[in-house]
Amino acid sequence: MNKEIKVGIADMKIARREGVLITYALGSCIGISLYDPAIKLAALLHIMLPEAGSMSDMNVFKFADTGIHEMLRKMGAFGGVKRRYQCKIAGGAKMFDMKGAGGIGNIGERNIRSVEAIMMAEQIRILKKDVGLNYARTMLVDAEDGSVKIRTAGRPEIIL
Amino acid sequence: MKITRYEDMDDTAKDMMREIGSIGTGNAATALSSLLKTGVEMTVPKVEILGYNEAVDLLGHPEEIVSGVLVQMTGDVSGVMLFIMKLDFINEVLQCVLQENISGYEQMGEMEISASTEVGNIIISSYILSLSKLADMEISLSVPAFSVNMLGGIMTVPMAEFGYVSDKLMMITGKCIIGGRNVDSNLLMLPDIQSLNYLMDRLVTPYE
Repeated sequence: MNKEIKVGIADMKIARREGVLITYALGSCIGISLYDPAIKLAALLHIMLPEAGSMSDMNVFKFADTGIHEMLRKMGAFGGVKRRYQCKIAGGAKMFDMKGAGGIGNIGERNIRSVEAIMMAEQIRILKKDVGLNYARTMLVDAEDGSVKIRTAGRPEIIL
Repeated sequence: MKITRYEDMDDTAKDMMREIGSIGTGNAATALSSLLKTGVEMTVPKVEILGYNEAVDLLGHPEEIVSGVLVQMTGDVSGVMLFIMKLDFINEVLQCVLQENISGYEQMGEMEISASTEVGNIIISSYILSLSKLADMEISLSVPAFSVNMLGGIMTVPMAEFGYVSDKLMMITGKCIIGGRNVDSNLLMLPDIQSLNYLMDRLVTPYE
């Protein structure tokens, strides 16, 4: 029986061997999953913004840069080895069609770019991604085998 | 009193927002009544400062499909307003304006979206009007944007906008009674922190 472990907004959870990490309704946010198949270690991070900037007293999991770094640190502490990690990402959608542009409309796009850049710097290859467009996604990561499922309204479930 | 985050708002500041909420609600009910050509009442709203996850849970389930009308404020106050409408609210509107009922959002065509957007826009404008009058400020509103999506997804837009300054959102919740039927009214009012401070200065008289 697979227990669902909820990952909230600006949150990160780790599971080992069993359990399904789930984060709901990724809009402009990005869900980042890392899986170490050798030790069946899974982590799911839900970030909102591309980078932390000068904010030091805020929740690190809110931002792609501080969030990913903390996730890597924690996974390492559990015995994870970076070069084995399988990375998959989802989200970064444009929820509202804002006429007249401005930052609020394209936060999803900025998040995608930030996550890609950070993973490249960490030398972790993003194996699969389901990003962009204009609908929200729910992301599930199975710690047993690292499989990732994406659920959206009105569309069939897909396996990344 | 300098506020750096919504959490810093003291009771006086919150009371001020409630006051604006009440007056805005009155205006909104009158304006809606006019548009829908039926009696509209709105209950005294509750103003809450909530964390992201709490806010989503208060409104329902993050995967629940809802509609949202988003408007940006500029001028003396800048920020974002988001009005969340569920299917029951939309149906009350469509019943009054188009004499029709829908069983799902996918049935919304151009007319239905237009009517729903207009309602959201009216409600948001009513609050802004009461705010600008009370504080004697000029506030401009953008053209409204409409979206039908998962609740959690829609909420990430204002959350991301304010993520750099706050972990909380300001929400005005109440009930809207249209033609005798009860629907929930949920408005997220998010002036940016600089504007909030400016507002507090204008509205709250310091007592010695």
